[in-house]
Amino acid sequence: MGVRFPSPANAFMDNQMKDIFDGQIDNVAVLVLYLDKSGKIIFCNKKAESIIGLKHDNIVEKNWLEVLCRGIDNAMKKEMFKAVLDDALVYKRARDFECHLLGNHDNLRLISWNITPISDKNNQIQGSILFGQDITEIQERENSIKKIDDSLKNIISSINEYALYVINLNGLITYFGMGCETMFGYHKQEIIFKHVSILHKIDQISFDLDIILERVRLFGKHESETELLTKAGVAIPVRLTVNQFLDSHGKLTGYIFIAKDITETKKLEYQVFQAEKLAALGQLSAGMAHEINNPLFVISGRLEMLKQEELTPKLKETLSLIDSQTNRIRKLVDRILKFARKSTQPLEVVDVNEIIEFALALISHSIPPAVRINKFLTKNMPKILGDAEQLEEVFLNIITNAYQAMPEGGVIEISSDNFQNLYAQIQITDTGIGIPAANFKNIFMPFFSTKSQGTGLGLSVCHNIINNHNGSIELKSQINQGSTFTIKLPFA
Amino acid sequence: MHYKILVVDDEAPVRDLFGDLFKKEDCLPVSCGSGEEALAILEKETFDVVLLDIKLPGMNGLDVLKEIRQKYPKLPVVMITGFGFDEELITKSKQFGCCGYIGKNMPVAQIIVTFMQFVKEFKEKGKA
Repeated sequence: MGVRFPSPANAFMDNQMKDIFDGQIDNVAVLVLYLDKSGKIIFCNKKAESIIGLKHDNIVEKNWLEVLCRGIDNAMKKEMFKAVLDDALVYKRARDFECHLLGNHDNLRLISWNITPISDKNNQIQGSILFGQDITEIQERENSIKKIDDSLKNIISSINEYALYVINLNGLITYFGMGCETMFGYHKQEIIFKHVSILHKIDQISFDLDIILERVRLFGKHESETELLTKAGVAIPVRLTVNQFLDSHGKLTGYIFIAKDITETKKLEYQVFQAEKLAALGQLSAGMAHEINNPLFVISGRLEMLKQEELTPKLKETLSLIDSQTNRIRKLVDRILKFARKSTQPLEVVDVNEIIEFALALISHSIPPAVRINKFLTKNMPKILGDAEQLEEVFLNIITNAYQAMPEGGVIEISSDNFQNLYAQIQITDTGIGIPAANFKNIFMPFFSTKSQGTGLGLSVCHNIINNHNGSIELKSQINQGSTFTIKLPFA
Repeated sequence: MHYKILVVDDEAPVRDLFGDLFKKEDCLPVSCGSGEEALAILEKETFDVVLLDIKLPGMNGLDVLKEIRQKYPKLPVVMITGFGFDEELITKSKQFGCCGYIGKNMPVAQIIVTFMQFVKEFKEKGKA
């Protein structure tokens, strides 16, 4: 089928355009329109007709804007389209513009237009030719990809224990993605193109990273547990997965790192390990205490009998010394047995606030006047399942430690709260000398003490008691600022 | 209080100490180092009371206690242990019918007084 030019157009079409339009212009997949310089449509191809959804006669001889912006309410868009066409004509240059078009069955299509001005031999503008490409589907595809991408981004960013970063073959960070800023504390801008060693522990980087990358090259993937460094220099335990980063031709261009923060898992593992160690120590201690008790009993028994004999004052004095030292051993063994003992008393429904109050009443006479006690006990808290006597010992122990940590005086704050309707949370805070971070790991271990007179059993007994209550006990402390013990006991 | 007392403990120095302490109280102590020996002695001799250690080689003190209870329901048995006041052991000892429980970690003088008290109470209960 030939091209149907209306007669006014034929005048110059014959000369200039016929060569161009001759052929299969009706069959091309783009919209083609020819406008005269007044903006009247002189020609449109089949594709344009079908997209616009009007018959040929309803398009030609009509103003281009009325046809192409039919049913489009956006006046601003119309004006812009017009301005772009005017610009093309005035400056005699091709322009592009994207605009919606109300097509067949009121189907809104997005068309990407190319507007090319047409001049005659004397460089006088004769009109313009518009090529339109229907990009509705492309746009929809892009939108849906963007939506998927956005939701993926949302998903990944909501899982904040993961961090994803990519390095190139030189080890430089080329992508610092989701979760990285949160995990490492660096801004994207400050770390891009830095060497990845910035995130690895110095003592590991020399062999660790090389081995990892070698394994990735050999096996395509590497997984390990390691530690990465934050900007603040804090090492965080991670589960690291490293994959090859390939380009579209399958060539290795770098490595993708996915780090999962396993701090919480490690913490749990440590607690289990600690509990097992304490249980083993408990058994060992009980056996040891028994073995000490027997000879101790014999020594003190014989001593008792000796004391009733006729003795010189010097001998009496010596015996009294042996007696007091033996008593000291006996007390120590008692503490060890207490630590080792797992209570078999059934737990009862008790009010944790009452226990705190009772412990405070017992200890109040020992607390120096320079130490002030502030209580913030939450009223009407649910009851817990517990052994009142044992819990009392825990509070007595921690409060004693608290005031002993403040030789110059200070404040002990004792609070009880309902923690998410699951636990009674008791916090005991002092403003004392604090505990060095290096001692945190040992603080609940038996025989660990920083006090010259301490047996080092107080907190380990507390730990055992709280464990037997299915609760938890945690310490936070800062040197010269004080310490906080947080105890959680499940509600009955 | 001229009790005839059977002291069962696997450690000779402990047995000897109890021997001397009870003699001082005008009692008559007989001692042995295992549960099996104790049961054999009880077959032949009559005692007013048994002082029985819990940790013993072979039969442990709780097993011996059970057997004594079956064979000699009226014989008071006082349990003693180096484990101190272990709630589990105390509960079991009471279940099996001991008349008292003593920890070796108590001061010696108190051990003897407590022991005598337990026996006295048990005897009085029996009379009533």
